[in-house]
Amino acid sequence: MNFSTFVTDKAGLHKFYEDIMASHETFAPVEKFGKFDFKKVTSLSECDPESPIAKTLSIKPLFFPRSAKVMKYVATSSGTDVSETDEDHLAGNRVILGVKHCDARSLQVLDKVYNWDYIDTDYQKRRENTVIVSTRCDKAETHCFCTSLDYDVENLDALDVVVVNGTEGKIYIKARTEKGETFISGMNIDNRLSKNEWRKADDKTAGEIKTQYESFAGSFRLKMDYKEVNEKLSKIFDTPEFENVSGNCISCNTCAFVCPTCHCFKISDEKVKDTGVRYKSYDSCNNGYFTLMAGGHNPRPVKYRRWRQRAMHKFVYYKERFGVNLCVGCGKCTISCPVNISIFEVVNQVSAASMQE
Amino acid sequence: MNYTKQIQDIAAKLFAEGKIDVFVGYRMNGFDDNQVPVLITDPQDVSKLVFTDKSVFNLVNYLKSDHTRRKRVGLVVKGCDSRSLNLMLTESQVKRQNLYIIGIACEGVVDDAGQKMQNCTECVVPDAVVFDELLGGTLSGSLTLTGSKPYQVNADVTALAAMPLTERAAYFEEVFENCIRCNACRHSCPLCYCAKCCIDQETATLYNGANTTSSAFHALMTWSLHLAGRCVDCRNCEKACPSHLPLHLLHKQNESVIYENFQEHLAGVIPEDRGAFYKYSLKDPDDFIM
Repeated sequence: MNFSTFVTDKAGLHKFYEDIMASHETFAPVEKFGKFDFKKVTSLSECDPESPIAKTLSIKPLFFPRSAKVMKYVATSSGTDVSETDEDHLAGNRVILGVKHCDARSLQVLDKVYNWDYIDTDYQKRRENTVIVSTRCDKAETHCFCTSLDYDVENLDALDVVVVNGTEGKIYIKARTEKGETFISGMNIDNRLSKNEWRKADDKTAGEIKTQYESFAGSFRLKMDYKEVNEKLSKIFDTPEFENVSGNCISCNTCAFVCPTCHCFKISDEKVKDTGVRYKSYDSCNNGYFTLMAGGHNPRPVKYRRWRQRAMHKFVYYKERFGVNLCVGCGKCTISCPVNISIFEVVNQVSAASMQE
Repeated sequence: MNYTKQIQDIAAKLFAEGKIDVFVGYRMNGFDDNQVPVLITDPQDVSKLVFTDKSVFNLVNYLKSDHTRRKRVGLVVKGCDSRSLNLMLTESQVKRQNLYIIGIACEGVVDDAGQKMQNCTECVVPDAVVFDELLGGTLSGSLTLTGSKPYQVNADVTALAAMPLTERAAYFEEVFENCIRCNACRHSCPLCYCAKCCIDQETATLYNGANTTSSAFHALMTWSLHLAGRCVDCRNCEKACPSHLPLHLLHKQNESVIYENFQEHLAGVIPEDRGAFYKYSLKDPDDFIM
């Protein structure tokens, strides 16, 4: 299917954002303590849709909340009454602005597991209700490696509506899904075109978007062949190299909490006397309690085994089961890591060790 | 401040003499001037070691790790790190005879932007207080409780104390709202070594693991109170926090209260000092007891 492309400038884009905020429930990166997190906004002055990737947390919490109420219960003399929580935490129709390309990709990755054996209806509903306006970056950050992974950054394989910054102040707005196409056409296109805020794409546009990609792709420090990593890692479950690379990890959980694709969770109850609320919140495979069983047995009792789980889940198990890597190359884990461990370095070091054996 | 050569030489000597099994230091991350902590077991890797003003992370944290447990460890410590090490020793978490400590007379470390860190500009004990070998500075041997510089209440704490109560409450509400409950602050703290932390107890529903403002409040407050009189202001927690929360406010507030009320006590400065909450003195104030 052919999706439409428009050309505008910064003012036209900001006008578009303002119009979205006026007519839709909108989420965008809001700065707090030097970090950007996606929050509900009503005007452009509150947020920065062009926030730097290194300082922006992922959009995962808008689909898989850091803490979701699952149910509430009351214990009575005749048994336990279980009910839905009265707080509707599922989103209505909403738009997310300023999403990075890698972040948008993470939802495509997560869709696979949420549509697998157990269909997570909460996640589904949030996905259906949300339009994502994602931006392709102009320049790679120190720890970015999205172009080395199994999605097509060049052809803007991202969600809904994509914004690309071109040269000479030109900005391209492109629909990438049917939902995005419907969304754009619902935003008064004719009015924008007649006021000359937006223009229709001409025959040069595709070439200009390609030029932007080339300068962006040239700015990457990190490059790897993910197929090679997938293949090598799948053969070296028992390598002692995992023990070496995980030595300086302090098991702080940060990487999994900021990762846009990590989706392990734990269940906990908040109870007062006979009533309680059950929460579903994030878990991390770096945590010592991860997969700890009721009898006290833990199949991953030491750090390197938990690290192996992390690397293998991202680059082997998920790939085998769903055909995509569970890593989108955003570098958020590395930026947040207090001891600067890079997942890129870890998987490449382990794969290289397998060559020597 | 660059002790790369000295540390490499000492580590090589320790390995050659068979005095240590593992050496904990810093190495370059390989592409910019940031550093990564490294645990060296192979004497050949000693050449990777570096020490500059970018050596920020408090390595005493690694004494909690499986990689160093029941092993003889060589370790580099700055002033604040050595104070936390002192507390680890006093609290019987590590054995002194298993450690070979390289102390640094620290001139302050810098953050990502190249600015001297706030805790370094306010530091009153820059020299390592426990060591086998001290690099830089002169061997003083006679440390006073407050170190070399007069103690000052943290600038941010002073600024916060000047705020009206409602504003201050709103500020902290924002802090707790932005906490994502990853517990990285706890894991990065060298002195949070409990095998099972109270905020992880399944029965402690106050903390409950869920990410709500109330659970973040209870977890962070409990954490900061458990570190009252023990926190050495190394700022590992702040470095680890993915939301960049100003966690030092909680600790520095406690520190200033304890300094004022417990005979100018600063955590971990004196070896064998059991800490503000462990000792009794007739001079302790009792005017708050009804």
